Amino acid sequence: MPRPDALQIARDGDSPGTDWTMVQSRLIGYLRARGARADLAEDIAQETVLRLIAISRTKEIGSVFALGFRIADNLLVDQHRAESRYADAGEGGEGEEGQWQTTAPSLDRVLDSRRAIEVFQRCLNRMPALRREVLVRRRLRNESCRAIGEDLALSGKAVEKHITRGLVDLRRAMEKAGIDPAGWHE
Amino acid sequence: MARMMASERAEIESAAALWLERMRGPVQDSAVAARFDAWIAEDPRHVESYARMASLWQSEGLALAACATRAGNDNGGEHEDAEGGPRARAYRRWFGLVAGLASLAAAVPLAQGLFAPTHTYEAPWGTTREIALSDGSHIQLSGGSRLSVRLTPWSREADLEKGEAFFDVAHEALRGFAVEAEGARVEVLGTAFDIDVLAGGRREVRVYRGLVEVAGASGTWRLPAGTGLILDGAHVRSLEGIGGDRPGWLDGWFDAQDTRLDRLVERLNRTSRIPVVLDDPQLGELRVTGRFEMDSPQEIVETLAAIHDLSWSREEGRYRIGRP
Repeated sequence: MPRPDALQIARDGDSPGTDWTMVQSRLIGYLRARGARADLAEDIAQETVLRLIAISRTKEIGSVFALGFRIADNLLVDQHRAESRYADAGEGGEGEEGQWQTTAPSLDRVLDSRRAIEVFQRCLNRMPALRREVLVRRRLRNESCRAIGEDLALSGKAVEKHITRGLVDLRRAMEKAGIDPAGWHE
Repeated sequence: MARMMASERAEIESAAALWLERMRGPVQDSAVAARFDAWIAEDPRHVESYARMASLWQSEGLALAACATRAGNDNGGEHEDAEGGPRARAYRRWFGLVAGLASLAAAVPLAQGLFAPTHTYEAPWGTTREIALSDGSHIQLSGGSRLSVRLTPWSREADLEKGEAFFDVAHEALRGFAVEAEGARVEVLGTAFDIDVLAGGRREVRVYRGLVEVAGASGTWRLPAGTGLILDGAHVRSLEGIGGDRPGWLDGWFDAQDTRLDRLVERLNRTSRIPVVLDDPQLGELRVTGRFEMDSPQEIVETLAAIHDLSWSREEGRYRIGRP
């Protein structure tokens, strides 16, 4: 059965303030940058928009994109699991290599590689000690900005700044090392 | 598109990092949410930068690097990896902490041990029970759990028959503290840790302070703080990057990471006064990721329905989740 087109469904007066076509194209951009194949990104974005529209009929959505990314992440993980099951079920089907290539973790795999870990580590070691401490606490222990601030005698704003600068440093280090370069020129 | 100016790019990246940090919490006020949506809508490069930042932040690679950095720094800053990687260093450090500290053993009349009774504690569904033991240890028992404890002058033994408990064990040099959980034995060397016994014989151990030894059917593991272990039948999986000084459920949070829906529901029902049921056991196989606030079960039910395109209803004092 062909799937209904999300955008046609949306035309009968749903959330007049929301441009669902734009939402769908941003979701595709999000999924592509998360390492999903083009066809998969389109399917998942479409499915996500359908669900967002359904939800928006019954309740006020705080952030369309925050919820949309969450739904898309879950669908991507589901899809990846389904595909790896297919791959496992293939009886030594080496001839079909690449057909069931895993999707979701393609980027994750790159970022979890030994080389990526080395680049992360070098970058962390070069940072000012305070920034490194803030990042590590936030990432490993999931401490709140307030708790980190109280411990290190920093304001909440300062903690936030350390985290964002640290993240940008890490992104740069990845780019420089040629791991996960951004596709800025599409 | 023309090549981007370096300054413009830096601006996008900083904004993406800031939004990622701001949107990590569960509830944002509506003004912040609207600004985030506007920023994403404004330019396709924004969403790309945001997505890459999110992948980077969530990657296992960053967690491992952070772990290693932490272990290295405690030993005096930046140095090259010597023999024994970061993990080995972390272990050595914890052993150093756990060793020593001989406290005075209280003189207890020997006879008392012979009649040391076994106390059994239960926490009804929807409640958390706090237990203070005579040795100064504290235990938080999650709803729907059953635990028995026996303290003798030479041993401290507990048996977690079902459910989940967080143990904050008073350190004693001469009396160890051991917990049995469905055939796995957790020996404690003076620490804070959490044990969760789930349906189907799956057990999860998480360590928040000190060092713990876990003996299962297929081996023995020593777990330093910040790590954990899942024993599931013959499968053993280690957990890394456990943060904080106590498990999230004590504060009403549950972090699902590719968690089965039936496990999440099981957890939810421990604290929810209104039980949640799945119409079809097969729904239990769906997976969920995200941080959930356990004291708003209805919100969780709504979110789960949204994520997996399910229907839900509230009838006869329970939430039912089913297929639309």
